[in-house]
Amino acid sequence: MTSVTRVQKPAVQVSPEVKAIHRHMLRRQRLGRAVTYLVGILISLWVLIPILFITSMALTTPAEVRAYPKGILPFIPLSTETLEFFLRSRGILPGLRNSVVVAVITLILSTLIAAPAGYALSRFAFRGRDVFRLSILAVRAFPIVILSIPLAVVFLRTGIYDSVYSLALMHTALALPTTILVLSSVFSSVPYELEEAAMVFGCSPGQAFRHVVLPLVMPGIAASAIFTFVLSWNEVFAATILTIQNRTLPAQVLVTLNQSSEPYQFAGGFFMMIPALIFIFYIRRYLFNMWGQISK
Amino acid sequence: MTTAPAPKTRKKMNWVPYLLILPSLVYLALFFAWPMVQGLILSIREDGALLTVRSKSEQASSMAGQLPRGTQVDILQRQGNPIPPESVQESNQLTEVWFRVRGMGVEGQLIEGWVPERRIRVRESDESGRPVSGSVRSILSSSVDPLTYLHMEAGEDSEIVGQMEARTTVEILDQATLEVWFLIHGEYENKTIEGWVPSRYISTLGDGTRGRIEVGDTSQFTTRYIQRMVNDRFFWPALRTTLLLIVLIIPAQFILAIIMALVIQADLKGSGIFLYIFAIALGLSDLAVGIVWYSIFTQFGYLNSILQGIGLIDAPLTYLSADTRYWILIAVWLAEVWRATALVMVIVVAGMQAIPREVLEAGEVFGATLWQRVRYIIIPLLRPSLQVALILRTILAFQVFAVVIVLSGGDVMTVLANETYRQYYDLQNFNVAGAYASFILLLSMITSFFYLRAVRTQEEVIG
Repeated sequence: MTSVTRVQKPAVQVSPEVKAIHRHMLRRQRLGRAVTYLVGILISLWVLIPILFITSMALTTPAEVRAYPKGILPFIPLSTETLEFFLRSRGILPGLRNSVVVAVITLILSTLIAAPAGYALSRFAFRGRDVFRLSILAVRAFPIVILSIPLAVVFLRTGIYDSVYSLALMHTALALPTTILVLSSVFSSVPYELEEAAMVFGCSPGQAFRHVVLPLVMPGIAASAIFTFVLSWNEVFAATILTIQNRTLPAQVLVTLNQSSEPYQFAGGFFMMIPALIFIFYIRRYLFNMWGQISK
Repeated sequence: MTTAPAPKTRKKMNWVPYLLILPSLVYLALFFAWPMVQGLILSIREDGALLTVRSKSEQASSMAGQLPRGTQVDILQRQGNPIPPESVQESNQLTEVWFRVRGMGVEGQLIEGWVPERRIRVRESDESGRPVSGSVRSILSSSVDPLTYLHMEAGEDSEIVGQMEARTTVEILDQATLEVWFLIHGEYENKTIEGWVPSRYISTLGDGTRGRIEVGDTSQFTTRYIQRMVNDRFFWPALRTTLLLIVLIIPAQFILAIIMALVIQADLKGSGIFLYIFAIALGLSDLAVGIVWYSIFTQFGYLNSILQGIGLIDAPLTYLSADTRYWILIAVWLAEVWRATALVMVIVVAGMQAIPREVLEAGEVFGATLWQRVRYIIIPLLRPSLQVALILRTILAFQVFAVVIVLSGGDVMTVLANETYRQYYDLQNFNVAGAYASFILLLSMITSFFYLRAVRTQEEVIG
């Protein structure tokens, strides 16, 4: 497109034919842009409208949730009654607490374990680097379903079944491969020359890392931690398999789904979406950094 | 592909990177590789499938043969055997107690030895309930030797040290718990096997002369669980639905994702907002997404509300019921496309950003239409990204779980992950659940391999 606009300032007199072609191309370009906007808006509606539906269900009265036909205009009447009803239901507040505990342990553990590996991948050329990278990619791809069953049996035998801590161990295993790859790309974005310069000026490697690299990679690490949090918060299969009493929020909602009313279900669905809506906004800058890595 | 800065080499301290990756290696070995192996083992090994029959009533004696779990056996004889104290109280175990006693023997001298509890009537116990003295019971039957034999050690097999008359008063010095062993006689594969087994493996029937092997002591490789999985009435429907969903979901996702990526790459004003909106679903849990689409497709949900609102229907239609399976399929399809396209989109955008601007502009300058540019420039250059996205999405599609449970109630339509969950959670068949898990692993590996091969062959054809 830029190449087209550069033609706009003709130095010499242009013949009417060229002007016509020019006008034609400009029109085509505007048309193309309009179509692109239209498509973008249509896809946005496709993404947003279901979210709008569930949000308006969750933020109204239970009576309105049960009503039919439902008003298309959202939030009438606006009320937190449905959400309160959901939060007061049995097992929801403990589930909420468990979810947060599991997610926080998971993000701390996986960041601590993954950061050194990510650093090694980005800074060192060592024998076996590619094998390590590839096996992490392979591990990243394996389904949760495969891991949950044997781990549950092992946890049962060793007596650490039904605990938020063992679930956090499992979630860490799930998050680890992605975290390693993402952190490796975050470290790669800080040139090694900076570290070198710091060492030239008398820093030890540890000091160079702490004072030069760490401040620069902190936002990236935070983004990856947020993503890990969301991953653990959302995970439902392993959570259901590995816990009975200490259920996380999604596990609790899933298990009670059949016996519960629609206001409960809709409020639950909305409630589970909140972290994603907030966090994706904060880390959107890092999305490609994270997932672009995966496709390498 | 953005080119990563070339990793710097530090010639000395070569062990540093290994030290740095060590924690993650250990963790992944412990919580990834090992469970995966365990899962495979779970699905093909039956614990306690065979019971070892011994030639003598000792654990150390030679093996007389092995009988499978569930065999009916005759119990010919029983005998107590010393057991380590930690294995007392095993379930189903029969025990007998022996006393070490001291008293007057038949030859008139003081003798000391072990006798079964049943031959002693306890007369006195200390405050903690331990017997301290008693007398030898008299044997009523006239055909049996009326004397009571004392043994060197607890157990019928040990050497006899003396005999006692009935009604002799004895001091009880010590006691021991023995496990009863059975001399059994059973048939397996037309072979008769006779020998001794501990009672904990046998449940006795009726008068105690017949029994059944409750559980064995040796595990065995078996295809039983795999057969049970394949013969389960939900297996084939689950496999069919899973594959059908993959075939329906993947193309729709890729088309939508490429369109999304083109919109974002068009560098419009506000494409940042588009990016955020398109990426929202990346962070949504599948359970929440299932509920979202349930609110649309349920009988008194949004779809019916809208259709009735614009006058297309007069009464709410039922979508999510056993009679309208195709609607459930459509709902799951829409939900999955809605949820998981974001992941493909991000990978595709990352790939597109790596395509040199000039290449795309060249296509434009030479008058290629949008379709031609997508077909002949963008897709070929995106192939590596698409390949990864394809593998990831297909493998993730094998785990579609919560969406299906929410939209179908878990029964009407079922997928493989759902069946794994049912076997584990509802039916408590850990082994069959393990078989399902291994089956999904196998499918994932086959698809990855297939994609890698297919894409390579294409490249060879083109190149």
